[in-house]
Amino acid sequence: MNRQSTTRPNGVDRRSVLAAGATGLALATSGCIDRVESAVGQETDRLALSITTVPADGDREAVRIARQLEANLEAVGIDASLDMRSRSEFLEAVLIDHDFDLYVGRHPADFDPDFLYEMLHSAYANESGWQNPFGFANIPFDDHLEAQRRVDGEPRRERVATLLEALAEENPFDPICFPEEHRVARTDRFEGWSADHPESRHGYLELEPDEDVDRLRVLVTDSRISRNLNPLSATLRERGSTIDLVYDSLATEHDGDLVPWLAEDVELRSADGDDDHVAEATITLREDCRFHDDEPLDADDVAFTYRFLEDTALGRSEFPSPAPRYRSHVSTLEGVTVESDRELRLEFATGLEAARRALTVPILPEHRWREQVEARVGNAEAFTATQGQWGLVTMDNVPAIGSGPFRFESRSEREHLTLERYDDHFTGREDVDLPAVDVERLQFGIDPGSASSIERVANDGADVTASMLEAHALETIPDDPAVDHLESPSRSFYHVGFNARIEPFSNPHVRRLVAGLLDKSWIVDEIFDGHATPTATPLPEEWEPEELIWEGTDPVTPFFGADGELDAEAARAALEDAGYRYDEQGRLHQ
Amino acid sequence: MDGEVLTRVLTQVAVVVGLLLAVSIAAFVGRDRLVATAREWRPRIRASAPAFAVLVVVLWLNRVMRQAGPGISERIGLHMTETFYDLEGEFVLVFQSIATGELTAYFSFIYVYGYAFLLIFPGVAYFALSETRTFRRLLTAYSLNYVIGLAFYLLIIAYGPRNVMPEELTVTMLYDNSPEYQHLTREVNRNTNVFPSLHTSLAATVGIFAYETRSSYPYWFPVAAVLAASVAISTMYLGIHWAIDVVAGLVLAGVCVRLSGTLVGRRPIARLRRYLDRRPASPDDRE
Repeated sequence: MNRQSTTRPNGVDRRSVLAAGATGLALATSGCIDRVESAVGQETDRLALSITTVPADGDREAVRIARQLEANLEAVGIDASLDMRSRSEFLEAVLIDHDFDLYVGRHPADFDPDFLYEMLHSAYANESGWQNPFGFANIPFDDHLEAQRRVDGEPRRERVATLLEALAEENPFDPICFPEEHRVARTDRFEGWSADHPESRHGYLELEPDEDVDRLRVLVTDSRISRNLNPLSATLRERGSTIDLVYDSLATEHDGDLVPWLAEDVELRSADGDDDHVAEATITLREDCRFHDDEPLDADDVAFTYRFLEDTALGRSEFPSPAPRYRSHVSTLEGVTVESDRELRLEFATGLEAARRALTVPILPEHRWREQVEARVGNAEAFTATQGQWGLVTMDNVPAIGSGPFRFESRSEREHLTLERYDDHFTGREDVDLPAVDVERLQFGIDPGSASSIERVANDGADVTASMLEAHALETIPDDPAVDHLESPSRSFYHVGFNARIEPFSNPHVRRLVAGLLDKSWIVDEIFDGHATPTATPLPEEWEPEELIWEGTDPVTPFFGADGELDAEAARAALEDAGYRYDEQGRLHQ
Repeated sequence: MDGEVLTRVLTQVAVVVGLLLAVSIAAFVGRDRLVATAREWRPRIRASAPAFAVLVVVLWLNRVMRQAGPGISERIGLHMTETFYDLEGEFVLVFQSIATGELTAYFSFIYVYGYAFLLIFPGVAYFALSETRTFRRLLTAYSLNYVIGLAFYLLIIAYGPRNVMPEELTVTMLYDNSPEYQHLTREVNRNTNVFPSLHTSLAATVGIFAYETRSSYPYWFPVAAVLAASVAISTMYLGIHWAIDVVAGLVLAGVCVRLSGTLVGRRPIARLRRYLDRRPASPDDRE
């Protein structure tokens, strides 16, 4: 038992005292008073927690983690239960309604650590969407989030390291592991699988079909893409490439670098010392780009997109209504100036690295979205566009009109979504240095099971599985030369998220104690059959400070026990140290 | 593309159930009844048409609700997974302790083929009876099962054991062992439709009818009883339903059989219609 170090209240360090500051202190004290009163023995004050997660059909590994956690919470006297929701209802509960105690899920993450700004900044604590679902609010932490985005290179690395240390300390969510991404693809109809991540723009671009192969048959386990194509929907997708295929962005990430996409040229540079902003970019769009409805795409559409993501009601609502996605992407922007049809100047409040994500948002056609806003607002005098929930961000947006390499063709709910090649797309031009699209048609079929998806690829009923295959089904991948097993590391991570708005998780000590009920090594070995990497941070190794590097056990919140076996006595003692009381039946009271 | 697997599975089911039907019609229904049916099928169809039409409408409604249901459920439904799990815990795992490869194969077969056969055969058998009331009652009981079941599915959102305890159920889980069946069941059902178990209620309905008609079909009753019990167990063995769903299914079956007796009169509606049509009744139509 070498774990009684930093987390116990009798060993509170300076940072957590600071952390308990502004927001925590008031809540913590009022909680204490409640506790004293309730300790007098009311049955109802037993600590009850509900773990929100998706069913095994949605994510078998998540359910198993949730059940393990449930069992361990029960073992320390907490009345734990599972709250099982479909994928979209799960995100609705967590991201929109904030109606949860704690949840087990997977975060899509991003190529730059600045996604943490979106996840954790207190300015977003009351917004609905991917921004700060935890309701986490901590002033020193906000400073860390802001500091890392203003600088680049080594100084940024150091600040991100500080940020990660503070994150591990505060633990609004507890990262568990990075799963490996496994997929299968048939090699006899298409070539070029291994070149890129199969779920990216380049992944679909570089495929070469054999002669007389006119469509790529893609399998996804998630039916949501057949129901909704709204790029702003927070609940109907967390990752996946359809939006990237239908819409263009100024630049696109390829192998960790940003390459110009809709922009012919992106000149991103640090600002002069006497400017207000930190970085700026000059964007030149490619010539003669058009949306799928044949309307021209120009710099005004780009400027519109940024304004629209900031306020989807375009100033017509009583309060601004920021989009429930891409929140931190656009928050890096300080000014957008349209200089000509094809030229824009962007000014950033952040350094070059954090600014890059702003260039990856989907560019929306102004004529269509403005019309949608007008239609919804109408002539109303006082209009409220409920942030993250109003019609515009929840509508299905079918057919989606973008400018991307593929256009919407047809769909059947819960069965398929079919996209066809957009022949006027710039990737098809001779003078553009990007691979041209050879596939005529992409047919995304829905197959909810990993095992049945693999079987269908093996039987030539499909060409590739786009969704990540679940670990338990990997052993069914046949040893067949016509079937390629594609493996890539994942940025996305499994985690337990805490609702810091309410008791008991408004208290960082409790968040850390609950994290200590998770044996991450055991989870990776048993639940993921080793097809994952345990972690103490939400970022890949190159960002991790030395103290947080995983070495067989969690460096911050080690498991109470070993090999998946909980040492309930030790955990109970720690909870008592944190101010909780046990009754005669061993049940935990607040 | 989904269609390919589905067509293959459907063909398989059609062939197997067709064979079972052929054998059992020969064994249970017998030549005499078939000859009589060949002679009297028109009036019997006329008499049963309303009950049949109702069933068709109900099945169509079931199909429509597969699309519309989730939206409605999200608004009015109650999440009950945890309640069921709290109530019975890991009870369904008792079947895991007796699991063998043969048993898994048997119950998978029962769940898909046995069930389809169990529902279709009584339709043929009772149509072959000279009186049409049993046949009409059966169709009505089927309709009631679906309608009441559907109402519960809208009100109660719950996931079955396979969605809650995937690791304990990997050995017998139907869709892991035979992924192709997922395409079939997905056509008729959704994963939150677990309470009550319609597999159980329809199978039990057939079982009760088999008991009531044992004087006409003495050998069918034991066969139906074994099949119906197997279907009920298979839903738990394969991790699809909770024991509570199965119990509710049994209750639903009892209610539906009872109601079908009340609702379906001894004087067929067809007779009334004929009367309205002012056509003379043919003696064949009388019960």
